[in-house]
Amino acid sequence: MSVDVQKVRRTGSAWNTAWLIIGLLLLAAFVAAAVSAPERLPSPDMDHLFAKPWEVPPFGADTKGISLVHYVLQGAGIVLGPSALAGVMVMIFSAFAGLARCAGVTWLDTVLQVFSEIAGALPRMVVVLVVAFVVPKEYVSLYPLAIAWAILAAPGAMDEAAAAAGRLGGARFVEALRAHGFSLTRIYLYHITWLNLRSVLVRQGAEVLMQVVFLEIALSYLADFKRQPALTRPELIKSWASPLYDGFQSAVLFGETLFKEGFGKAWEVGVTSDMAMLHALVLGLVLVALVALMAQAFRLAARQR
Amino acid sequence: MSDGETKLHVETGVKTERSAESELLLDLQDLCIVTPARTLVDGVCIQVRSGRCTAVIGHSGSGKSLSARACMAVLDVDPGIVRGTLRFPAFSGDKDWFDGVRGGGMRAQRRLLRQTRTLRGKYVTYSPQSASSALNPGRTLGWQLKMAIGRRDQAPADLGQEIAAILERVGLPPRAAASLPSELSGGMAQRAALAIAIAPKPPLLIADEPETGLDPVLRRVVTELMINVAQETNVALMLISHNMETVERVADEVVRLYQPSDTHDSFGNPKEGVA
Repeated sequence: MSVDVQKVRRTGSAWNTAWLIIGLLLLAAFVAAAVSAPERLPSPDMDHLFAKPWEVPPFGADTKGISLVHYVLQGAGIVLGPSALAGVMVMIFSAFAGLARCAGVTWLDTVLQVFSEIAGALPRMVVVLVVAFVVPKEYVSLYPLAIAWAILAAPGAMDEAAAAAGRLGGARFVEALRAHGFSLTRIYLYHITWLNLRSVLVRQGAEVLMQVVFLEIALSYLADFKRQPALTRPELIKSWASPLYDGFQSAVLFGETLFKEGFGKAWEVGVTSDMAMLHALVLGLVLVALVALMAQAFRLAARQR
Repeated sequence: MSDGETKLHVETGVKTERSAESELLLDLQDLCIVTPARTLVDGVCIQVRSGRCTAVIGHSGSGKSLSARACMAVLDVDPGIVRGTLRFPAFSGDKDWFDGVRGGGMRAQRRLLRQTRTLRGKYVTYSPQSASSALNPGRTLGWQLKMAIGRRDQAPADLGQEIAAILERVGLPPRAAASLPSELSGGMAQRAALAIAIAPKPPLLIADEPETGLDPVLRRVVTELMINVAQETNVALMLISHNMETVERVADEVVRLYQPSDTHDSFGNPKEGVA
């Protein structure tokens, strides 16, 4: 009687691998877009105002005739760094909480609990807005907001990581591994963090990354709507909220006409007319969906077997 | 002996036909571990010989598990060891591993931990109280056995066959190798923990209350299994328990740890018949 040594490894399922590939492809596209983002938008092009995707491929143009590709690239450039930083920060916070639970250091556990209670009790959106208004206009950036968001999102993530570490057996698990001759570095980094906390950390990190992207879109949309300076970026740089805002106006027009004059007229006004911008709305929503898909893909790729 | 100290009493019985002259594997003498607040253990002496079962018994809090951890040099008590010697005669001759650690505090204990890393998991293995603590939930039993076998000096000719043989020895089917710990029942998990402990073929196995959390039937089965496996593989067993029935049945030697309340009456005088 023998055991198939290859089978005992039991790596992730084909689905885990598929989700990982999808997540990595989307991340690569995200990074490529951010890296190739132009510093400034090109000059308005009067010949292509409101151009549809088939007139100015691949996404069409905005109300000034500027290709929406530039919006996609600049929007990625705004959110990539801060959202990645926030995700990594939450992962580090969570890993720390999980390892503290395993280390069995009571005072450290208490300190983390106090931090969790204080940070968890703060209204996240209010704090983020306060941070946004405190930052001087010339230094306006998504980074301070992302850091504030990460700190305020950390308590939930830390609680989950600590609970996962607690289910391992906490200090008793570490002690058993030490008794098997493993070094503390290997125990904490490999046995606990990599083998057991990984799924929690990746999920929390991916969720916060996604939240920061959506935060930027939401704040930029509000700024566009109120005709106010953006809180997350310099005025010259455009966010993914811009196509959403332009497109939404067309969607509202489409809806109004649909109720008043029927589908035929609504289609004409909202989609095929010279001033229709529904393609921009679709582009904005697809970008939002792709970010959500990327976060979900990483979450599913890292899920516990 | 002052308040808070633990007293030692050694009873020796012969449960097997094996020679009492067998090789000395572990020699812990006069162990005293203290914290700033109190003395945790004092005067503990444990000797374990090859092929024999030494039981360490005592009430909860008497220092059984702490003494076992001291035997493996896994301690994080400040200031910790203030007296005592630890020798592994079959591994390192007359070397006293506590030399330079006594009174040295946490720093010295961490140094000792690093120095003795190759010893644990190879010369002495450990089966903890809860089987779930011994098993890594993120990896299959087979993978964990593979890691444990990897600690041997000589790799087996056929790893798959060796894993199957170890599983069979502890009463698990070979297909259990592909199972994650969460897929094992309580009894199976305890057997799996035993399999991991014997996989490196250590001369000495320390089992810390292997019956904890098991029902009475399974408790007996697991203990019998542990004794049988230890005999078959010629592993010396240091069994920590507070179950007198088990100890009387299986132990060749018994080390009994007392707490002050066990050794003294309410007036502080030693009770009759206690060493």
